[in-house]
Amino acid sequence: MKKMKLSTIYLFIVFVILYAPIFYLMFFSFNSGGKMYHFEQFTLDWYRELFHDTRLLIIVLNTVIIALLSSVISTILGVFGAIAIWYVRKNYQKSLLLSFNNVLIVSPDVIIGASFLIMFTVVGIKLGFTSVLLSHIAFSVPIVVIMVLPKLQEMSSSLIDAAQDLGAGRREILTKVILPYITPGIFAGFFMALTYSLDDFAVTFFVTGNGFSTLSVEIYSLARRGISLNINALSTLLFLFTIILVIGYYFIVTKRNGRAVGLGARK
Amino acid sequence: MSNQAIIRFEKVTKQYDEDPPVLNDVSFEMERGRFYTLLGPSGCGKTTILRLIAGLIEPTSGKIYIDGKLVNDVPANKRQVNTVFQDYALFPHLNVFENVAFGLRIKKLKKEEIKQKVREALRFVNLEGYENREIKEMSGGQRQRVAIARAIVNEPEVLLLDEPLSALDLKLRTEMQYELRELQQRLGITFVFVTHDQEEALAMSDEIFVLNNGVIQQRGTPTDIYDEPINRFVANFIGESNILKGRMIQDYLVEFAGKQFTCVDGGFNPNETVEIVIRPEDLEITPPEKGKIQVKVDSQLFRGVHYEICCYDQQGTEWIIHTTKKVNVGDDIGLYFEPEAIHVMRIGETEEEFDARLEAYHEQGVANEG
Repeated sequence: MKKMKLSTIYLFIVFVILYAPIFYLMFFSFNSGGKMYHFEQFTLDWYRELFHDTRLLIIVLNTVIIALLSSVISTILGVFGAIAIWYVRKNYQKSLLLSFNNVLIVSPDVIIGASFLIMFTVVGIKLGFTSVLLSHIAFSVPIVVIMVLPKLQEMSSSLIDAAQDLGAGRREILTKVILPYITPGIFAGFFMALTYSLDDFAVTFFVTGNGFSTLSVEIYSLARRGISLNINALSTLLFLFTIILVIGYYFIVTKRNGRAVGLGARK
Repeated sequence: MSNQAIIRFEKVTKQYDEDPPVLNDVSFEMERGRFYTLLGPSGCGKTTILRLIAGLIEPTSGKIYIDGKLVNDVPANKRQVNTVFQDYALFPHLNVFENVAFGLRIKKLKKEEIKQKVREALRFVNLEGYENREIKEMSGGQRQRVAIARAIVNEPEVLLLDEPLSALDLKLRTEMQYELRELQQRLGITFVFVTHDQEEALAMSDEIFVLNNGVIQQRGTPTDIYDEPINRFVANFIGESNILKGRMIQDYLVEFAGKQFTCVDGGFNPNETVEIVIRPEDLEITPPEKGKIQVKVDSQLFRGVHYEICCYDQQGTEWIIHTTKKVNVGDDIGLYFEPEAIHVMRIGETEEEFDARLEAYHEQGVANEG
């Protein structure tokens, strides 16, 4: 019993340490004093200012468009990539492909950003919307692959045999058996790609050009110029948005998992 | 047309890479409307035969005919056969109705027709009213039936069953054996049933193919195979046996366990070394002086329906007896058996040679009597 309590206290402390700075920041976004200490009065001025800043609103829009486009495209690419890896028969080829995929996930964003910058300059792609979109797609694809692949591996190969046995051709096997089966993985991959794209800073910072910016880059440059509680307001909104995404993702996953659990009981 | 074999294998070999072949130069024919069982231990090649018929794998060499047509290059989705898989392979994202309708939807049948056929198939397997159930809500036995309905709704000429009963408990398994047998008779199509369970094979089949190491060891009706196994492997695999070394003195006279006995086998060379099979249930316990062989009881196991008694004779040969009588360990008892209970096997004989010899001495026997 005592052990239980200790672990609960430990957990509580960890969460406090993790969340305290965020709540501190959110708290002062309502401060009329304009400083991060000494709370004077409750105000929504910073938020009002935020919503009158058309430049900032365009940046928000850019960020969302980039995130949605890149995650949709990378989900499509990633799903087919995962299926391709899954189809590879030889084990060493499979693990080689998978390693190539995983290296991209673990390698530092700075390196990926810098190398993309070099590539875009060499190829002659103007830095801006296209370059940011392309690089976001590039770092999202491996994430989708790694989210979808376990679902494929969990699928019994006799399902494919059965579909073939019942007259299904290659295309029907894909659309009527494989894709419906891995749908939870596809959703998970999509949401992962979306969040990665939304909060990416390092890669975007390298490949973005004049006149184009995303939220995280903008917050960074605002913070460099000097502290304004604008940033707090913006960060608060961003945080809330992320929370909503996470909750939405959770609901989709648990709903789907209800099915998956039933599957597990099959044997 | 109806006499023509529905499935024909001509010298079919299947080999993966450099490994020894899973299936080695196998030829056979299967007739329409019969219940065939492929029986053998795991890795004997029985599932390989099934997958070759289904078209899920291609033979390394040899020819496969279905309904008289060469199908080596016909992919699985174009063959008029359907399979019930070992793990049922039901689609978890579809309900019962959609699972059964899967093949019909691919054939793009009309909605009404699909509805009617699915309902009919579900009625055939006693699952009326389960159309809207999810697969995860069904029990093992029910899933089995859904899998069967999904296969037969396509009206295949051949239904392939890959150890479909192995995941069920004993009671349900026995029930399903009756149902499958009955289903086959009602449908009138060819069933090819794969199993490693010899009791299942004996109970259900018109004809059994016993396989080992990628070769068909023996084929025949259940009684043929049980009463006249061709070699040690078949005798051991199908039922329990006492297998003894022996010597054929002349036709109908064999020597084993240090004595000579009359038997009903012939067609051997004089003094040929042979193997003798006597089934444990053909041995009758008598007082020592009345038995053909005298043995000492070594151990006794209660098996429910019968006792399994293990004895040794003076030469130290082990004898297994199945009997409902109880004896005491350490007793001296006699064993009595009819000449018909002795089955003599020639060592290393192939199926063709076995059949030819059987035919020859049966004719001779008839001539002698006349």
